[in-house]
Amino acid sequence: MDGPDNRDLRAACFWATLVAIAVAASDDVFVRTIFGLPAALILPGYVLTRALGLKASSMLEYIVCMIGTSLASMVVGGFVLNIVGLLTPLGWATWLLTVVIAGSYMAARRHEPPALPRWSWPPGLRLRHAIVFALAASLTTGAYALAVHDEAKQQQFRYTEFWLLPSAGSLSLGIRSEEDQKQQFDVEVAVDGRPFAVFRSVEIAPSELWTRQIPVPQQTTPQKAEARLYRLKDMRLYRQVSALVPAS
Amino acid sequence: MAAADLSAGAGTVGVRSWIGTVLDFIGPDLRGPRAEAPAPPTDHGWISALSLLAAVAVFLIAAGQGAGRSGQEDLAPLLFWSGVILLVVPATLRISWPQVSRAERLALLFLLAGGLFFYKSIYSPTNFSDHDEFLHWIATDDLMTAKRLFMSNPLLPVGPDYPALEIVTSALVGVTGLPLFVVATLLLAILRGVFVGALFLFYEGITGSARLSAVACLVYMGCSTFVQFDTMFSYESLGIVFCMLTLALDVASKDFAEGPRLRAAGIIVLLLAALTVTHHLTAAYAAIYFVAVAVLEIARRGASRREVGIAVGLAVIATALPLAWMWARGNPVAGYLGPVVQVGWNSLVARFHDLMSSAKPPADVGIPAQPLATRLTTMLGVVLVAIGLATGFFRSLALAAQPGTAEGWRQIRALLDRRWRDGRIVFLTFLAFGFPISAAFRLTIGGWEIGNRMGTFVFLGVGLVVAVSLVHFWQAGPTRDWRRTMSAFALMIVVMGGVTAAALKPIRGPYRVGGDSESIEPMAIQTARWTREWLRPGNRFVSDRINRLLLGGYGRQDVRTDFAEGVSTGPIYESEKLTPDDLWTLTKSEVDYMLVDMRLSTSPPVLGYYFEPWERNDGTPLSPKALLKFDQINGVGRIYDNGWMKIYDIRGLHGRS
Repeated sequence: MDGPDNRDLRAACFWATLVAIAVAASDDVFVRTIFGLPAALILPGYVLTRALGLKASSMLEYIVCMIGTSLASMVVGGFVLNIVGLLTPLGWATWLLTVVIAGSYMAARRHEPPALPRWSWPPGLRLRHAIVFALAASLTTGAYALAVHDEAKQQQFRYTEFWLLPSAGSLSLGIRSEEDQKQQFDVEVAVDGRPFAVFRSVEIAPSELWTRQIPVPQQTTPQKAEARLYRLKDMRLYRQVSALVPAS
Repeated sequence: MAAADLSAGAGTVGVRSWIGTVLDFIGPDLRGPRAEAPAPPTDHGWISALSLLAAVAVFLIAAGQGAGRSGQEDLAPLLFWSGVILLVVPATLRISWPQVSRAERLALLFLLAGGLFFYKSIYSPTNFSDHDEFLHWIATDDLMTAKRLFMSNPLLPVGPDYPALEIVTSALVGVTGLPLFVVATLLLAILRGVFVGALFLFYEGITGSARLSAVACLVYMGCSTFVQFDTMFSYESLGIVFCMLTLALDVASKDFAEGPRLRAAGIIVLLLAALTVTHHLTAAYAAIYFVAVAVLEIARRGASRREVGIAVGLAVIATALPLAWMWARGNPVAGYLGPVVQVGWNSLVARFHDLMSSAKPPADVGIPAQPLATRLTTMLGVVLVAIGLATGFFRSLALAAQPGTAEGWRQIRALLDRRWRDGRIVFLTFLAFGFPISAAFRLTIGGWEIGNRMGTFVFLGVGLVVAVSLVHFWQAGPTRDWRRTMSAFALMIVVMGGVTAAALKPIRGPYRVGGDSESIEPMAIQTARWTREWLRPGNRFVSDRINRLLLGGYGRQDVRTDFAEGVSTGPIYESEKLTPDDLWTLTKSEVDYMLVDMRLSTSPPVLGYYFEPWERNDGTPLSPKALLKFDQINGVGRIYDNGWMKIYDIRGLHGRS
C-alpha cells in the first residue's frame, strides 16, 4: 500500500481506525455519527469494488454500487459476528475495520489506480442557484419541524392513569395525570373487603406522578386488594383497580 | 345486387380503415428519433426553481397533516393535496420533457423521490406508524438486546429467518449511537436514493436513452407500493434495493470484457446472497428475472457462449441461494405465504363468479372508502397505464429487435425468429402483462395483498412499456402536437395515481378503531410505556392487533397472538361470557397480562378486524360487556386503568402471581 495510487486505501484504513477508536472510547453521538455513518455506508463498498477492479461508467453507477456493496458486507458481518458472539457496537467497528483493511490489502495487490469516474463541478451552477437550494433546504427543515411540533401537540384523549401493583408484603399505588387541568382525588384502598388505607384530597397537576408504597401483612393465602379513585369535582368513582397480594 | 356489392365494398374499406387505425395505434413502429438528440446543458435554474417549489409543496403537506391532526377537516385536504400536486406536477412535466439533459432529469428524479419520501415520513415524523414497521422495530430491538440473530418473533414468524434489515440497522445504531428510529429513517432515505439511482441505470442500460429511462422511472412511481410500502421500515424496502442493484449491475456490465464481467458478476452474487437473507418474495423476483433472462439468452440466435454461460450461472445462483436458505431454515416461507396466496386466489375466483352470476354479490364489509377525487385519480391512472401498455407493447418489443432489422411488423417477426438484441427487454415487455392480473387481485379484499406486492415487480415491465409508448408514439410528433402536452399530463396523473393508491387515508386525523396507523396515538403509547416502566419488560401479554404492537415496541413486552396453541386471542375477547373451555385455556396458558382497550367497543374496525386479518366482522362493534367480563373472574386483577384502557393480571389463575 506504499504506492502513490494507494493513498485512498491508506485514507480508508485510517478512517476506519478512527471509527473503531470513536466507538470504543466515546459516547458522543455527534462524533460517532459524523465519522461512523459515512464510513459504514461507503468504506466497505469502496475498498471491495476497488479490490475487485470494478469499472463504473458513471459516478451514479459507482455510488449506488458502493453503497449496495457496503450494505451487503454489513449483512455478511451480521452473520459472522453472530457466530463469534460479537453483535455489539465494538464488534461492528471491528468488522468495519477488518473489511476495510482486508479489502485495501487486496486492492493494493491489484496495482491499479482507483477507477473513480471523473467528476467536475457542474458547469453553469451559480451562487444564486446555491442560495435557492439553501432556501429550499431551510423550508424543508421547517416543514419537518412543523410536523414534529404538530405531532407533539396532538392529544385527542385526556386521561388519568391509576394502578395498583402487588408485590410480596406491599402494594404499589400510582396516579399519573394527562388531564388538561389540575384535579383533586380521594383514594381508598381495601384488602379482602376491609378498608385498609385512605388518602384524602390528593391534588394532581397535568403530567404529575403520585405514588405510594403500602405495606400489607402477608397471609398464608392470597388476598384481594382493591383501590378506588374518587374525583372530588363531581364526587364520582373515577377509576377502580385491583390486585392479588401473594401469599407468604 | 350491385348495390349490395357496393355496400359490402364500403364495409370492407371501413373495416380495413378501422384495422389500420388500430394497427397504427398499437403497431411496432418506433416514431421519433431512435438515437437521442444532443441534450442542452443542464439548466440549474430549472432545478433550483423546482427544488424551491418542492420545498413549498412539502411545507403545504406538513401544514395539511397539522390541520388534520387538529381536526380541521375542510382545510387539511386542501393544504395537503395542494402540496402533493405542487410536488408531483412540475417535476413530472419537466422530467418527461424531450429536450432536457441527463443530469437534470436525474436531479429532478431524486428531488421527486425525496419529496415523496418526505410525504411518507411526516405522517409520523418521530415514531414508527405502520403495522409492519413495528414488527421490524421489535425484531431489531430484540437483536440489539440479546446480541444474537434468529430470536423468535410471534408477530412475524418468518421474520427471524430474514434478518438483514435488522442487521444493517443495528450495525448503524451500534456504530453511530443514534436512536433506532433516526437510523431507520436515515437508512430508508438512503435506500430510496439508491433504489431510484439503480432503477434509472437499469432502464438506461437496456434502452440506451436517459429520457426513456427517466420516463420509465416516473411510470414506476405510479406503482402503489412505491410511495409507502417500499419505504417502510420493513424487509422488502431493503430487499427491493438489493434486487434492483443486481439488475442494474447485470445490465451495466453486459458489454464488459470477460474479466470485468466476471468481477461484476462476483458483486452481483454478493448482492444476491444479501438479498437471500433479506426478503423471500424479492429474492423470488430476482430469481424469476435471472432465469427468464437466461432462458431468453439461450434461445437467442447468435448469443455467445460466454454470455449464455454467465446468464445461466447467475440464474442458477439466484435460484439456488433462496432455495438453499429456505431448506436450511426449514422452509418457513411456505407456511407464511401459502395462506395469503390461497386466500387471494379464492377471493379472485369468487369475484369472477359473482361477475358471471346474476345473483347480487354480497356487499364487502370493512372496505374503507376513499374520497371520490382520490379514487378517480387512482382509476384514471390505471386506465392511462392500460392505454400506455396497449400502445407500447409492440413498440417495446420492437426496441428489442436487433439493429438492421427492417422497421414495422418485420421487427416482431424477427423476434419470433429469436433474433433479439437483449432478452431483458423482451422479458420486461411480457412482464407488463402482470399489470391487469395485479389490478384484478387488487379488486378483492383477500387478494389485495397479492396484487399490491406483485406491483413492485410487474411495474418494472410496465415502466418500460409505457415509457416506450410515451416517447416513441405519444410524444413523437411535432413540437406543437397536442398529444405531446396531453401525454405529459397523463404521465403526471399516473404518478399521482401511485400516490393516491398508496394509502387509504394519508392525512393524519383523530383516532379510529382498528385502522392500523390511524389507531396509534399518545394515550395507547403511554400505556405501553407504563408497562415497561412499572411491570418491567418481557412479560407475556395479549391484546388487540394495535395495542400488541405498541406493547411489543414501546413496552418491550413479550406479546403473543394466541392464548395457547390453536386458541387465538379474538374469540376470548369477543364473547360476552367465558365458557369453561375458555377458562381452562386461560388457566393453562402462559400469558401473564391482558390489555383491554374499551375503544374497541365504540365502532367497528376500519380495516374490518380487531385482532387478525382473517377474522370475520359483520360491521358491529365489540360489546363493552364482553370486554369487561374479566372483572368477574376470581384470580384476575385489573391492575391498571386509565378510563379507556385496562390491564388485567391473570397470573393468579395459574398460580404465578
